[in-house]
Amino acid sequence: MAEEFNTDSMLSVYLYENGQLLEKLEGIILEKQDESFDDSDINEIFRIMHTIKGSSGMMMYENIAKVSHKLEDVFYYLRESHPDDVPHEELVEKVLAVSDFITEEIDKIKDGEDPDGDESELLDDLDEFLGRLKGEIKTQGIRLPKPNKSEEPTQFYITPVAEDDSHFYRIVIHYRNDTQMSNIRAYSATYALKEIAEDLLFTPDDILSNEASADVILNEGFHMLLQTKTCKDDVYDLIDSSEAEQITLDEITAEDYGRELMEFGREDGDVPPGAPPIVINLDDDPQAAKDDKKETPSPGDYVVKKKAAGKGKTLAKNQTKQQTIISVNVEKMDALMDLIGELVIAEAVVLQNPDLKVPGLELSNFQKASTQLSKITTELQEVIMSMRMMPLTATFQKMKRIVFDASRKLGKDIELEIIGENTEVDKNIIEHISDPLMHLVRNSVDHGIEENVADRIALGKSAKGKITLMAKNEGGKVFISVKDDGKGLSKEKLYKKALQNGLIDNKPISDFQEKEIFQFITLPGFSTKEQVTELSGRGVGMDVVVKNIQDIGGRLDIESVEGSGSEMTLMIPLTLAIINGIVVQVGNSFFVIETASIKEFVRLTEESMIQEPSGEEYIVIRGECYSFIRLNERYNLSESSTKVDDGIVVVLDHEGRQVCILIDKLLQEQEIVVKPIPSYIKKVKGLSGCTQLGDGSIALILDIGGLIQNEERR
Amino acid sequence: MAEEVKDEVMEEDAQKGKFMTFQTGKEYFGISISYVNEIIAMQPITAIPEVDEYVKGLINLRGKIIPVIDVRVRFKMEPKEYTDRTCIIVIDVKSTTVGLIVEKIAEVDTIVDDDIVPPPALGHKDKERNKYVYGLARTGDTVKLLLDPEKLIKQEVLEVLEEIQEKEES
Repeated sequence: MAEEFNTDSMLSVYLYENGQLLEKLEGIILEKQDESFDDSDINEIFRIMHTIKGSSGMMMYENIAKVSHKLEDVFYYLRESHPDDVPHEELVEKVLAVSDFITEEIDKIKDGEDPDGDESELLDDLDEFLGRLKGEIKTQGIRLPKPNKSEEPTQFYITPVAEDDSHFYRIVIHYRNDTQMSNIRAYSATYALKEIAEDLLFTPDDILSNEASADVILNEGFHMLLQTKTCKDDVYDLIDSSEAEQITLDEITAEDYGRELMEFGREDGDVPPGAPPIVINLDDDPQAAKDDKKETPSPGDYVVKKKAAGKGKTLAKNQTKQQTIISVNVEKMDALMDLIGELVIAEAVVLQNPDLKVPGLELSNFQKASTQLSKITTELQEVIMSMRMMPLTATFQKMKRIVFDASRKLGKDIELEIIGENTEVDKNIIEHISDPLMHLVRNSVDHGIEENVADRIALGKSAKGKITLMAKNEGGKVFISVKDDGKGLSKEKLYKKALQNGLIDNKPISDFQEKEIFQFITLPGFSTKEQVTELSGRGVGMDVVVKNIQDIGGRLDIESVEGSGSEMTLMIPLTLAIINGIVVQVGNSFFVIETASIKEFVRLTEESMIQEPSGEEYIVIRGECYSFIRLNERYNLSESSTKVDDGIVVVLDHEGRQVCILIDKLLQEQEIVVKPIPSYIKKVKGLSGCTQLGDGSIALILDIGGLIQNEERR
Repeated sequence: MAEEVKDEVMEEDAQKGKFMTFQTGKEYFGISISYVNEIIAMQPITAIPEVDEYVKGLINLRGKIIPVIDVRVRFKMEPKEYTDRTCIIVIDVKSTTVGLIVEKIAEVDTIVDDDIVPPPALGHKDKERNKYVYGLARTGDTVKLLLDPEKLIKQEVLEVLEEIQEKEES
């Protein structure tokens, strides 16, 4: 089932994110090496562990998930109980041990191996430590099921106990140079041999997970060491020789076998680094033919040559699984973007240079060259823009996986609907919303959707739960909402819980507005779920969400109707997003209005105006009355026409509310990069940012929401 | 011996004691050169509505959008037409970049600490202006008013805060 998802991009994101988290963790630890952790440190470490646990669980790296879960337990205890006599040095030691363990495992994953480190010792250690912290020796927390696949590293290189009637073989298969998918063929060979093998070892060992191993097999041949009771002929028959160029099957002594096991993987230097041989211990196969052993090993036996052996291609690709994402400092990106902006301006200065306007100048070559230059700079601009912007597709994809896993685990039938996954968001923002979104989706699955299908049906809902993930770009902000049709939030329950946890003073419930009560769930240490699960329920989720969102200047809106579901909406400003805008002119100033919020442009006469005695103006368009803002008056812009007849009326729509503004001139529509107004200048109502136009001049971006709000307040 | 070493250190620190001086009205002002990023010619300025009079607006400094202040207006002098001698001094104060519009750039002067005297206390009347003038320096036959850009900026923020408070109260 898991193969349905494209795990490659998820893996690189996983590696990147966890790398960052571990860095952060070490930063905290190293800073506080000599003094005890304060509350925010404990919270931070707890959160880091929580996130690592969650994502590792999702990627099925159980040993990492377990270790981080255990450390989370320790910090959960520290956070909740505030014990006084924490042996700080030892705590630091433990955290570093965990961090090292995870780093090591992640390195293994990077090299394309399975994270197979043994976590049990570390777990016991942490358990014991936690026990001592609590002043009693008892294990705590929920134990995850034992891993079923990880192999003890100590098993490597140990020769299995040779039974008297076992034979040992060294098998080398060379495939023809043009063989497709030689790794799959090699795998089928090992699969066939597993049937009879007591012990089987092969290299390259990552034939299935690593496609590049196909090249290695083609170049180096596929090497196997086999311990079996089957006789040579039968072994030979089992190997599919259809595409093989040469199969070498040597019987060797038990001693040789042991020695070769030790050397295996080192014998050919071209075997990719980080690919130690794996010993697969198989149970004694009862079907294994009990052959008498009589043959003395004679190397060279059964060498079948179909063609002259040729090494063929010598591309020894060093194919380790590297991250395909590199993180670039945003400042560098900004600097590059600024430089390109400058280049465009410089280009305009050169191409429209007054010196060129001498009459009778022959410029045809210059024109050709300048067209070429313009083309390149335009492309350059597009590239840098696209470098920063990423569609939310990958992030939403990850959510699919989460819903799938979480609903499986909880036994809920849930459908995920995704709307607007192509919404492009600044890369920087994507990094910040991925975690919060993960928490929100999990919460929806875990807490939102009813556990009991009968409850849903009783309320007239379909048996299948539904979660809607939606993204849109509106009014210079990205809205990402997670909506479920579950049980919704109960105001009374939330209030009681908040009171219980001492998060609010003893104010009566009537003191709070609905929205305020919903916001309780974002307070640290608030959780309505009694049980702590791997998914959620420790009350870390929501405060992490809010913290991360606030870090990028966004906010979280919660709406809910008890019984019919809740909707969590992330509102994130587009600090550096590109919006499609229309540039307009009022007086000597340029403004940009986001295209999406423009309903229409109309030319009207004074007759459609209505003036209140208070001076407030309205405008009537096709029988509809709108409030009317003259931008030139609002912003005291001189040299602008005050007559409606001379200007253009723009009808704007923001979240269902309309307003009309009067402008002088429409200039053009273009994609613009939103830049914040320098913080030095105090916030102006109705302006959300500024941008640089093609000719280098600056235009201000109108914030329709702010304009309307301001108008209403008057 | 010790003095020699000190001198060497002083020489190495080329910015020490150097002031960018400019003329506004009849007065000469100086800003420690360590704050000065660059001097650029007058640029088209995009006005911003609803800001203080002396904040002239935004300019585009190679893709970076920075606010500019007219020093004349800031010092409560009558605004004057910009000429081709008008310059913008771009200063960096605690990660805030601001452009100062000045009438005329004078020169870079070396002023040793000993030549700087604190401005005379003129009672409370002239308090406002003296906040960002932290010292007077005599070089040649002119007296230069040395500006503390940090205070110039900080002042700004304080005033903005005060304004907001006033608005809320009213």
